Amino acid sequence: MVLNVLSWILPVFTYYFVGTSLGGNLVESIGVSNYTAFIVIGLAFQGYVSSTITTISQRLRNEQLYGTIEYYVLSSGGVVSFLIYSVLWGFVINTVNAAVTLSIGLILKVHYDVNLLATVIIIFLLLLSTIGFAMISTGFTMIVKQGNPISFFFSTFTTLMSGTVFPVTVLPTLVKDISLAIPLTWALNGLRLSMLYGEGIMQLLNIIEVLVLFNVVLLPLGIGFYSYSFKMARKKGTLSEY
Amino acid sequence: MIEIVNVSKIFKTGEKEIKALNNVSFKLEKGNIGALVGHNGAGKTTLLKILSTLIIPDNGDAYINGYSVTKQEKEVRKNIGIMMVSERAFYYRLSGFENLVFFGIIQGLSISEAKRTANELLDLVGLSEWKDMQYMKYSTGMQRKLALARALILNPPVILLDEPTLGMDVVSSRDFRSLIKRISKEKTVLLTSHNMKEVEDLADRIFVLKRGNLIAEGSKEEILAKLGKVKLVSVREVPKGFDKFVVGYDNGTYLLRVPETERVSGEVIKEEPPTLEDVFVYLMGEEIDSTRNRSRRGGWGRRAGL
Repeated sequence: MVLNVLSWILPVFTYYFVGTSLGGNLVESIGVSNYTAFIVIGLAFQGYVSSTITTISQRLRNEQLYGTIEYYVLSSGGVVSFLIYSVLWGFVINTVNAAVTLSIGLILKVHYDVNLLATVIIIFLLLLSTIGFAMISTGFTMIVKQGNPISFFFSTFTTLMSGTVFPVTVLPTLVKDISLAIPLTWALNGLRLSMLYGEGIMQLLNIIEVLVLFNVVLLPLGIGFYSYSFKMARKKGTLSEY
Repeated sequence: MIEIVNVSKIFKTGEKEIKALNNVSFKLEKGNIGALVGHNGAGKTTLLKILSTLIIPDNGDAYINGYSVTKQEKEVRKNIGIMMVSERAFYYRLSGFENLVFFGIIQGLSISEAKRTANELLDLVGLSEWKDMQYMKYSTGMQRKLALARALILNPPVILLDEPTLGMDVVSSRDFRSLIKRISKEKTVLLTSHNMKEVEDLADRIFVLKRGNLIAEGSKEEILAKLGKVKLVSVREVPKGFDKFVVGYDNGTYLLRVPETERVSGEVIKEEPPTLEDVFVYLMGEEIDSTRNRSRRGGWGRRAGL
């Protein structure tokens, strides 16, 4: 637990000192007025996506390894119960992570001006899209039984591409375009505006609309692919293979 | 009740196709214990997994108390309890009690129901004394008993047991068999086994699978009647195709147990009624030959400890 908390806190201080050493002028030149506030919001919520997705895929692998996955399939909630337990655990841990990171922000003199409703809506939409990705990622794990490109992408590239510790505007055009296809990029942008500048639903409507659109696509896709992967495994008799 | 109707299953591994089950059909009535026997890879576990909805058959269907395993999966799952052959299928750091409570909860029991059921089942299988011990410290026999308790958690009418006494010592195995008999009174139990003593003790109906085909079925008496009598014959050389009948070797002579209908030139020591093992050896034919030929490299004498 102590190591977990340290792994949440240390990046905040690392980027705080990076921002401090670069100086205010340089940071402002890339469109960031308060770099500490920028990275605190980024680091607080980036974990929801990356660690939830990797946790669920890893959990599936572990259950296959223990030989318990078949009992989840047979359980009253079926494979959905497995997903819900895993997602809830990931969300609880990351909520603690977010709370700790935001508290460190207070210590580093970040001024929050929170519009609670807008913030809750954006976090909710981010979580839903994360569930969509998590289902796709778990489906891959069930089918390929080894390296998982979705999980790898989210654990490795989200920090780079979703505006977690620097704005996506500094990225090369092609990479910037890809970053706009990631819900986290939009959610972090919206959360910074709702938590640092108190912007409400009406002001953030375009961001909320985009996040809703992501969910309209990702959730059915995730549910469909997740169900398909388990059905394929039952057809091939490979449910418990890993 | 279990009813299997023309169930077939082919597994594909790359270019290769393995016919795991081929048009298998049989029925097992309520209150009966059925035993699926066959060589390794005969399709026994595949059939149990199809009955429990863990594998989807390519053709045919099976019914658990009237519910189709291909069309009414949820109802089937409520009506079965399965004990799989894997010893890994528990959480090693949790105690036996905690494991049962957890699996009770994911089966839909409330926490209090799961705790009460776990205590009752631990008592039934004789693990109450060790209920708080971590699963990783359980012996093989205790692990198998806990797996049986998990299969009973919803008190289902149909129980599927995959090699229930695998790896257990003689005494634990006997205890376990009497436990299965006790729980089977009001239930339908289908088990797989390589242990013919177990099958003789437990099974009301026996189903013999060979390369995915059901080649014989019936009561113990009906299965035994397929062979008539067996004769114990002493020979100097084992005739071609008779490897599977060798039961001993002493001082340059081999001892064979062969069906009375088989012609073997040698000294007939005695004739007697067959055991299930004799029938199994006879019915499996070349499946046993191929296995035994592989293990014969060390010689029958060495294998038999003679």
